[in-house]
Amino acid sequence: MIIQKNEYLPEYYNIENVKWETPDIYTINIKTKNPGHSGQFFMLSVPGTGEAAISVASGNGRDLSFTIRKIGSVTGKIYSSQKIGVRGPYGKGWPWKDYDHIVAVAGGIGVPPIRSLLEELMDAGRNRDVSIIYGARTPSDLVYKDRFEEWSRCVDLTITVDRGDEKWGGNTGFVTEFIGRKNFSKDTAIFIIGPPLMMKNSVAEAIKSGIREENIFLSLERRMECGIGVCGHCNVGEYYVCEDGPIFRYTDVKDKPELFL
Amino acid sequence: MAKLFKSISEEYDTYGTISEQGEIVFGQVRGFKDIVDGRSKYAPKEFLISRNENILYLPKIEKKAVFGIRSCDLKGFYIMDRQIYGKDPFYTARRDNTLFINFVCREPCEGGFCSSFGGPVLEEYQIQVIPDGGKYLVMVSEEFEKYMKDFKVVENNEIEKFRKDFDNKMEKLPVEGIENRIKWNSKLWKEYASICISCGACNFSCPTCYCFDLYDREDERLREWDSCILAGFTSSSAGNNRPELDERLRQRFYHKYVYYKKSKDVYLCTGCNRCTEDCPVDIDIKEVITHDYSKE
Amino acid sequence: MGTITVCPYCGTGCQIVINEYGSSQHIIGYSLSPVNEGKLCIKGYSGLSYNFSKERLIKPMIREGDSFRNADWNEALNYSASRMREIISKYGPDSVAFQSSAKCTNEENYLMQKIARMAGTNNIDHCARSCHSPTALGLINTIGAGAATGSIGSLEDTRTFFIIGTNTTEQHPIIGAKILRERKKGKNLIVADPRKIQLSTSANVFLQFKPGSDIALLNSIMFVILKNNWQDNDFINSRTQGFEEFRKEIEKYPPEVTEEITGVNPSLVEEAAMMIAKERPAAIFYAMGITQHIHGTENVMDVSNLALITGNIGVRGSGIFPLRGQNNVQGSSDMGALSEFYPGYVRYDSDNVKKFEELWGKKMPRNRGLTLSEMFDAAADGKIKAIYLMGENPLITEASVSKVEEGINNLELFIVQDIFLTLTAAKAHVVFPAASSLEKEGTFTNTERRIQKISPIYKPPGEAKPDWWILKEFGKMLLGMEDYSSPEMIFDEIRKVIYNYSGASYDNIFPIGKQWPINKDFPEGTEIMHSKSFPIGRGKLIPVPFGYPAERADDDYRFIMTTGRNYYHWHSGTMTRRTDILERESPEPYVEINNDDAMMLKIRNGQVITLESRHGSIKIKARITDKIPSGIVFVPFHFVEARVNELVGENYDPISKIPEFKVVAVKVIP
Repeated sequence: MIIQKNEYLPEYYNIENVKWETPDIYTINIKTKNPGHSGQFFMLSVPGTGEAAISVASGNGRDLSFTIRKIGSVTGKIYSSQKIGVRGPYGKGWPWKDYDHIVAVAGGIGVPPIRSLLEELMDAGRNRDVSIIYGARTPSDLVYKDRFEEWSRCVDLTITVDRGDEKWGGNTGFVTEFIGRKNFSKDTAIFIIGPPLMMKNSVAEAIKSGIREENIFLSLERRMECGIGVCGHCNVGEYYVCEDGPIFRYTDVKDKPELFL
Repeated sequence: MAKLFKSISEEYDTYGTISEQGEIVFGQVRGFKDIVDGRSKYAPKEFLISRNENILYLPKIEKKAVFGIRSCDLKGFYIMDRQIYGKDPFYTARRDNTLFINFVCREPCEGGFCSSFGGPVLEEYQIQVIPDGGKYLVMVSEEFEKYMKDFKVVENNEIEKFRKDFDNKMEKLPVEGIENRIKWNSKLWKEYASICISCGACNFSCPTCYCFDLYDREDERLREWDSCILAGFTSSSAGNNRPELDERLRQRFYHKYVYYKKSKDVYLCTGCNRCTEDCPVDIDIKEVITHDYSKE
Repeated sequence: MGTITVCPYCGTGCQIVINEYGSSQHIIGYSLSPVNEGKLCIKGYSGLSYNFSKERLIKPMIREGDSFRNADWNEALNYSASRMREIISKYGPDSVAFQSSAKCTNEENYLMQKIARMAGTNNIDHCARSCHSPTALGLINTIGAGAATGSIGSLEDTRTFFIIGTNTTEQHPIIGAKILRERKKGKNLIVADPRKIQLSTSANVFLQFKPGSDIALLNSIMFVILKNNWQDNDFINSRTQGFEEFRKEIEKYPPEVTEEITGVNPSLVEEAAMMIAKERPAAIFYAMGITQHIHGTENVMDVSNLALITGNIGVRGSGIFPLRGQNNVQGSSDMGALSEFYPGYVRYDSDNVKKFEELWGKKMPRNRGLTLSEMFDAAADGKIKAIYLMGENPLITEASVSKVEEGINNLELFIVQDIFLTLTAAKAHVVFPAASSLEKEGTFTNTERRIQKISPIYKPPGEAKPDWWILKEFGKMLLGMEDYSSPEMIFDEIRKVIYNYSGASYDNIFPIGKQWPINKDFPEGTEIMHSKSFPIGRGKLIPVPFGYPAERADDDYRFIMTTGRNYYHWHSGTMTRRTDILERESPEPYVEINNDDAMMLKIRNGQVITLESRHGSIKIKARITDKIPSGIVFVPFHFVEARVNELVGENYDPISKIPEFKVVAVKVIP
C-alpha cells in the first residue's frame, strides 16, 4: 500500500465569526462547505495547544459550523484564534436516510449534531419527517435560541428546561417526559444525544414507548485523539467511537458494560 | 547467512540485535557476524511506531532490514496490522519499507507462552530463520524469494518436526474461548490494582500495544506511546469512564483477549511474556488466561 | 545503539538505557542493574520529554531593568565573578551564599562547595536541608553514617518491612514494587502512615497514626519490645551504648497511654513490635514523613533506636533505609554541600578541616554557615548580599515562600543556573543556561550509596553548558581555581578528599555502580554497612522524649495539613509539568479531603475551596477521598498555581533547621 497523504495534517482556516450562545458556549463558522454529514465530527486544532474532537453543527454542503463549549485547553482557545486547523470528517453520521420518521432527542450541549441533522432534513425537503425534543438545564443554558422560531415553523419542535426562571413560559421537565408524548409508528427511529444519564433514561423511555430497539441510535462521547481508529483511547467494548461511531445502533452496544460512563 | 545478509544490505539499511553492556538492544549492523543471537530486551516496536515523533510531517522513510527480531515480536505487527495498517500513515509507510528477518527460538524462554498463540514458527512472515546448529533453515515469503535464488531449495519435514518438538517443550495455555470465560467482575482486577504502580511497562513492552497520545509542543504535534493503565488515557471533558485502576487493568486484558478477538478475530497477544517480565510487581498475564473464573 | 545512564528523578537511581532512533527516544530499564533489574516507573518511561522543550534556556542572560538581555558566556561569567568579588571585598566572604542541588552530579556539588569555601564562607547548602538533613545529622550521631545501611538487592533477605512516613509506591516506585514483590512471597509488611497509602492495602499491620506523633508511636513499639524482652540483648551489649538511660525513657510510653496521641490501637502496636523484633531481619524505611518535622532529627534517632535494640542493622535484609527524594541527595550531602559539613561529613569545627586546607592550599572558614532558609532570612535582613543558586526553585519548594521572595528581592547579586526559567530564575540578575542530566557526564549516588555513572545522550540546546563547566569557569575567574578538563578530573579529586569514595573510578563503577564505602579496606564497595562495628565504635541509644508538633488543630484552625508529592510530579514541577503524559495525569493543584469532612462542610468533589493557615491562604480544588482520615488534608507542593508553601510557617527543627512541612494547622473554607 502506498500512502501519500498525511491524515494527521490539518487544513487551516480562518474563523469567520464567533457567536456566544451562552456564557460558555460559542458557535464558529468557517468559510468552507461541510463535506461531512450530521453526526460526524472533525478534529479542530489550535497550534501549540492541541486538538479536540468536535461534532459538526451544520448540515452537509452548508458552511462548516461548530458549536463548542469552553471547557478544556483547546476549546478555551478556539474562539480567540484567528486560524484553526481542521481535519475530518470522521466517524459515522445519523442514518436518517433509512427511516421515514425520526424522533431526535438532544440534551444539553448534545444539540449541534441535531441541528446539522435538521438542516440536512430541511435541505432534503423532509423536515416534516422529524420531531425534535431538546432539553437544557435552565433557559440560559439553551443554545441556538435565535433559530427556534425558524425551526418551529418547519419542524415539530419541543424545547424544555429542567428548571425554568420567572421569564420562562415554555415547557419544564426532562426530555424523557416528552418522548412518550410523540406519535410513533413501529418503524420510527429515535436519535439520542446528550449526557450519559439523559441518554440512558431516554433509551428506556423510547423502549417503553414502543420504539424497536434496533431503531434506537445513540451518539457516544469519549476521549478521541486521532479520529481514525488508531490511537486507542475511545473504545467502547470492541468498538472505537471515532471510527465505528460516534453514532451507534443501540442493539450493537447495549450490552457493553462501559456504555454509559 | 552472510551471503543473504549481504544481498539484503544492498537494498536496505541493516539493523540487528547487538549487546550494550550485556543488554540486548537493536542497532545498526554491518555484517551478519555483528548480530548477537538472543532476544532483545524490548519489542522492536519503534521501527514502526516511534516512541515520540512529530506527526505533522511524514519523514522520508528509509528501507530498513531488521535481523534477529523474535517471532513473538514480529507476530505483534501482523496482529496490529489489522487495526492500524492503511490507516496510520506513519505505521503503514514504515511497515511497507521494513523487512523483518525473524529468528525462531529453538528453546522456550522462561515464562514465554508463544506456542499458545501459534508460535514460534509463524505462518505469516517475510523471511523466517530457524537456526539449526550453525546451519539455518530459511523460509521466505514470495516477495522476498529473489534473495534466495542462489540457495538450494529443499523440501523437508524438519519444520513440522521442529514444531512438534517445541510444543513438547512448552506447555500450551487454554487460550481458546477465553473471551467467553473471562469475567467482568473478577476479583483479579482489584487484586492487581492493589499492587499495580501504574508504570505503563506492560504497554510499553508489549509487541501488540499500539495506543498513543497526541499533544502539541510549540509548533510540533507529537505522538507518544500511551498507556491505558493511566487515568488520563480516558479522561475527557465529559468525565472518565475508567476512573479506577482496576477498571483500567481490566480494560487492558479485555482489549487483549475479548475486544480484539471480537473485532479482528485474533487475540491481541503473542505470548511473549514481556509485560510480565517488565512488571515491577509481578502481575502475570498468564494468570488472566488460566484463572478459573467459574469458581468466582 | 543504547546509552546507559541514570533516571533523573528520585533517589532510587534506576538505570535506564536510552536508544536513539533519529528524534525518538526509546527508554528501557537496564536489566543488569541491581537497583531496578530492568524495571522503571512512569516517570522513567514517559518523563523525559521536558528535555526537548523549546522553553529550555539556551543563552546566558543578564538582567536589564525588568527583563533580560542575552549575553555571551564570557560576559555573563565575568560580570558575575566581578560582582561577587566586589561584594566579598566590601562586605566580607560571609555576605555571599551558595545553594547547590541534589539534582546535580557529585562533581558539580563538590565544585560548588569548594568555590564557597575557597571564597571563605561555609554558606553552602542545598535542598537536602528540606528533606534529609535530619538523616545526616541524626544517623551520624547514632551510628556514624548518614546513609542507608543496606542495599536494595539485600531486601530479598528481609523478613519484615517497616514503612514509616514514606509513600513508597508513589515516591520511590521501584523500591515500593520490590517491597510488594517480597510481600507476595509472604514477608511481613508493616505500614505506618497518616494516609491510607497504596502499600497499606497489602500490609499485615497498618498503623494509621496522627501527623507528628511519630516518636510516641516508635517509643510505644519499643515499649512493647522491652516489656516482652524481645530486644536483642547480645547486640545491645556488644554494639551499643546508653541502653539503661534509654530504657528509662521508653518506660513512659505504654501503647495504651500513647493511643490518645497517636490514634493507634495498642494491639496493632503490639503486633508490629513483635514482627520487627522477632521476625528478623527487619528493614525500616522512612522518608519525609519522618524528617519534615520540628522533631525531624529526633524522629530519625528514634528510628535508629528501634533498629539498634532489635539488632536489625549490619545484617543482610535488615537496616535503616532513608529514601532520598532526588537522584543525588546522598551524593550532594557526601560532597559537603551542607553548611555544617565539609566533604565526607567533616564538621566545620573539627580538626580534620586541616586536610582541606592542605589539599586546597588555603585557610578554610571554621564557622558554621547558613542553611537554606537562614540564607533567605539573612538576605531579607541585608546580611547576605549575593546568592549563587544552582538547579533549585525555592520560590515553590521552601517553607514560607513569601519570606524567600523578600530575601531574593533584597539581594545585590542573584545568580541562577538552571535548565528552565523557573519562577526563581526569573528574579535573577544573571541566568546561566545549564545542560540537563541527559546531556552531561558525571556521577550520582543513589539512596543505597551506589555511585553510578551518567553519560550524555543528547547535545545541550543552544549555548547551554554542563553545570560543572559553568562552575569551574566561575571558580577560575573568581578564585583562580583549577581548570578541570572533565568531570572525571573532578571525580579524581573527590577520591582524594573523601576516603569512602577513594576506591571508585569512572572505569570501575561502570556500568552498575558501586556502593560506598569503597576504599582500600573495601575495594569492591560495601553492600551492608556496620556489620562488625560502627564508624563511631558503638551505636548510641538516645532517649527521645515525645513533643507535640509546632502547630496543632484548634477551634480556629481545625484541620491539620500535610504536604508532599504525588506520583506523577516531582519537586517544583519544572521537569514533570513540561512532560505531557505526566501533566495530563495530574494537571492541576488539589487538596485531598476526607469524605466525612467534605460532607460536613458541604464540599463537592472538584469544588474550589480556600485553605488558610496562620501564615497564608490559597485557593485550591477539593479532591474527596477515603484515603485520608478525617481532620487531615493533604496538598502536593508541585504547583505554581497554588503554592502550598505559602501556608507553611517558619517552624524549624532546632538541630537540622528543616521546616515542618508535614504539620500545618489550617482552616478549610468552602
